[in-house]
Parts: sequence; C-alpha cells; structure tokens
Amino acid sequence: MKAPEGAGAARAATLAPPVLQFDGVAITLGGRQILSPVQLQVRRGEFVCVIGPSGCGKTTLLRAAAGFVAPSAGRVLHQGQPVTAPRRDVAFVFQDYGRALLPWRTVASNVALALEAARVPPAQRGDAIDRVLHTVGLSAHADKFPAQLSGGMQQRVQIARCLAQRPDVMLMDEPFGALDAMTRETLQDELARLVRDEGLTVMFVTHDLDEAIYLGDRVVALRSNPTPERPSVAALVDVALPQPRQQIATKEHPEFLRLRRELYHYLGHP
Amino acid sequence: MAGPRRWTSFVFPALLLAALEAWTRTVGQGSDALAPPTAAVRALGGALADGSLLSATAFTLGSAALGLALGALLGVALGTLLGLSRLATRLGFLSIEVLRPIPSVALIPLAMLVFGFGLRMEVSIVAFACLWPMLILSQAAVQQVEPRLLEVARALQLTPLQRFAWIVGPAMVPRLFVALRLGVAIALVVAVTVEIAANPHGMGYAMMIAQQSLDPALMLGWLGWIGCIGFAINAGAQALQRAVARRMGDEALA
Repeated sequence: MKAPEGAGAARAATLAPPVLQFDGVAITLGGRQILSPVQLQVRRGEFVCVIGPSGCGKTTLLRAAAGFVAPSAGRVLHQGQPVTAPRRDVAFVFQDYGRALLPWRTVASNVALALEAARVPPAQRGDAIDRVLHTVGLSAHADKFPAQLSGGMQQRVQIARCLAQRPDVMLMDEPFGALDAMTRETLQDELARLVRDEGLTVMFVTHDLDEAIYLGDRVVALRSNPTPERPSVAALVDVALPQPRQQIATKEHPEFLRLRRELYHYLGHP
Repeated sequence: MAGPRRWTSFVFPALLLAALEAWTRTVGQGSDALAPPTAAVRALGGALADGSLLSATAFTLGSAALGLALGALLGVALGTLLGLSRLATRLGFLSIEVLRPIPSVALIPLAMLVFGFGLRMEVSIVAFACLWPMLILSQAAVQQVEPRLLEVARALQLTPLQRFAWIVGPAMVPRLFVALRLGVAIALVVAVTVEIAANPHGMGYAMMIAQQSLDPALMLGWLGWIGCIGFAINAGAQALQRAVARRMGDEALA
C-alpha cells in the first residue's frame, strides 16, 4: 500500500515554488468591480479548481493569468515575472473547442500550429505530433478535420495542441462544460491521468462543484458582487482525497461529501 | 437532386418556347421583333459556321475575366488592408463612399477617351464594377474572422505575418469565393452592357448589329446564347465556391 497520495501532493504543493502568483489582482470592467483583490498561489504540479456562480469573475481571473486581460490593480506573476501578454508556456484551453480549432486544418495540422509557432524544425514536428495525439488518444484520427469529430474529440484536439506548446501551466476555462455527462467523466479521468503522468500544473475553471472536488488538489470558491467585507475569494480548501480518483469510489468518499456540503453554499445557493 | 425534379424545372421554359414558336409561325408571322426559336437556333448555327460566335464569345468572356481578375486582385488587396487597419479604414472611408456609388457604365465615356475602343476600355470598366463588391466583402471577411481564433493566435504569440498567413488569410477564403461568385455575375453583365452601349466587339455588339439589321432571329439567338453562357458560368462559380467552402471546413457557406 502506498501512502495516501492526497497528503503527499498537498505537502509537495507547499514546498514547490509557485508557478503562478496572483498578487492583489483586482479587475473592474465598465465601472463595475468583477474581482476584488485576489491573493493566490498555484504551485508546480498542483491542480487548482476555481468555482463560483455565473458572473463571479472566474473566467476573468483565468484570462488575467493568461495575459488576455490586464488587471485593474495588482499583478499576476508567472515564474516570478509579471504577466503582460499571452505566452506559449502558459497554455489556454477554451470552452468553445469548435471555435478554437482551425476548421481548414486536420487534427495533426491543428496540433502542428503550436509547433510552427514555436519554430520547431519541420523534421522534429512529426514525432511531437504523434506523441501528443497518442497522449490524448487521437492517433487514429490524425488526418480528420475537426468537423468530422465529436465534441469530446474536438476538445481533445485542443488539449493536444496545448500540450504541444510544452506549457508549464495549463489554464482551462470550463473545458468540459459543453460536453454530455458521459464524455465529461471520461475526459475528467483522462485529464487526471495526464496531469499525473506529465506532471502538469493546472488551473481549472468550472461551475460544476463535483468536477472541481473530483479533479482538484485545492478548490477556490469565488462569490459574485464582491465588497470590501465580502471579497471575491469566498473559500480556499484543500482536497485531501486519495489519488488516483475514481468516479464511483471518490464521489462516495465521506471527505468528498463533506467538501461538497461545505462548498455548496458558495455557488450562490441559499 | 432527384431525377424527376431535375426535369420538371425544364417544363415551363419548354412550354414557353413552344408557345413562342407557335405564335411566331401563326399570328405573329413576319414580326420585326420576334422570331421562332427554331429560326434563332438556325441563325446561331450560321454564326457558329462563320466563326463570329466563337470570336465574339471569346472577346466578351476574355474581357470579363480580365476585368474580374484585375478588380478582384485590387479589391481583395484593398479590402484586406482596410479590414486589418483601422487607420486605413478611416483614411479610405470618404474616397470609397464617393467612388462606390458611381454606376460603372457611367465611366464608358471616360474609358473611351482614355483607352479608345477595344479590350482595355472594356476591361477597365468591368474591373471598376467588380472592385467594390470584392473590396467590401473582403473587408467584411477580415472583420468576421472568429475572434476565438485571434485569441489562439495571441496565446501562441504569432507574429502579425504568421497570424495573417495561418489564421486570417485561410479564414477569409470561403467568404472570398462567395464574393468571387458575385463578381463573376457582375463582370458578365457589365461586359455585355459596355458592348451594347459603346464597344464594337463581343456578344453584346453582335446582338446590337443583328437588331439594327432587322434580323430578329439572330438577335434572339444571341440573347439565348448569352443567357446560356451566364447560366453556365454561374453554375460553375457556385460549384467552385461550394467545393472550396467544404474543403475549408466552412459548412455554413457550402
């Protein structure tokens, strides 16, 4: 028997250097405060889930981490350097996979875009493409066009393209939100395996509480309409559930149910 | 399309032609304006025999194609520039809004003075007519590129040149073929109009001459021929547009 890995991961997380650091990040859009100052660190190898009701600014927080939006106050640090613009070693998985893929390129060619952007010599691209497509289980579909694939497979293509960027952090914006329940669970398990195998660091936004607890080492709950007394970050909890997680066993684990009860209120439920 | 539906659409034109044939051979015999369709076909056969059918068709189609190519090239280049740069949009706005509404055929007198009769005059007017729709539609094509793809370009830190070559350019292609299809129709209309109004060459001129020499059969023969050419060209352009849209993964335009 191995030692409970949940505790191990949590310990590693406190020791590892932060990959992403939110230093008093506040965002105001059109005179309305979306995010009150957020203080948060994402450490190497950590899987941090962000939940909250619609309009609480969870996507905005993620976009600030990616450099798509500039914070109104505070700053985001990536490896200690302020984030001012998007960069290739910070990969971003969009929710709307259908729009984030180039419809005129095949699966392999969509993945190649990341390698072309990084100026990987053409001779080395083939192996890299084969590797990431194998990782997401799309080896057999390399020559298909996105329109010929199901939603779940299209999202895998986007994840493959992000993996080809060799990122040191993956930012995922409700990546499975538009998928059916079966596909969602399959992709959750694949992502969890990927994170274990590749040692990825992930910041994962979702509005699905079960998904957040199931995948995360830590869960950040945000609330909407923040005030100085009630800041954006409503709760920050460690998820001490054993790894690898399983759809049935983990979701029946007493700790899972306890966390679910604890966090349920933060999603805007009365 | 199913077999029966394919030929039902021919029933009405066939009835119309038969009625015209019957009328011109009975009540309307000796009309200066109308002739039996069979006589029109025979007259067209004569034009084919003396080579005028081929040379006139080649001239009209050649100048329409050259004019379209010129107008499309300029239109796509300018439209893309206007779509990419707000500064260019502001700089070009007034000039475009003043020039665009000029009816292309109103340029016939000017083109005649500058180029004289012949190919260059017709090509210049066709090019002017095709320039505007190509320009406006290319500009729209640039502006309608999926914003998410532009974010992907940002996330991958693409240079402006890479962004254009890999994202914006390919994303424009299906819409450019829609514009090209429109341009093809305009080019043929304008080319024939220029020939009817001024240029002593091509199918439009041949039809005018037939009319002025009181030969309604030949005139109607040319009219039918021009219609057939227009139909064939449009069908070809539509098939091309569909094929490109399908290849580029744009089902909406396919």
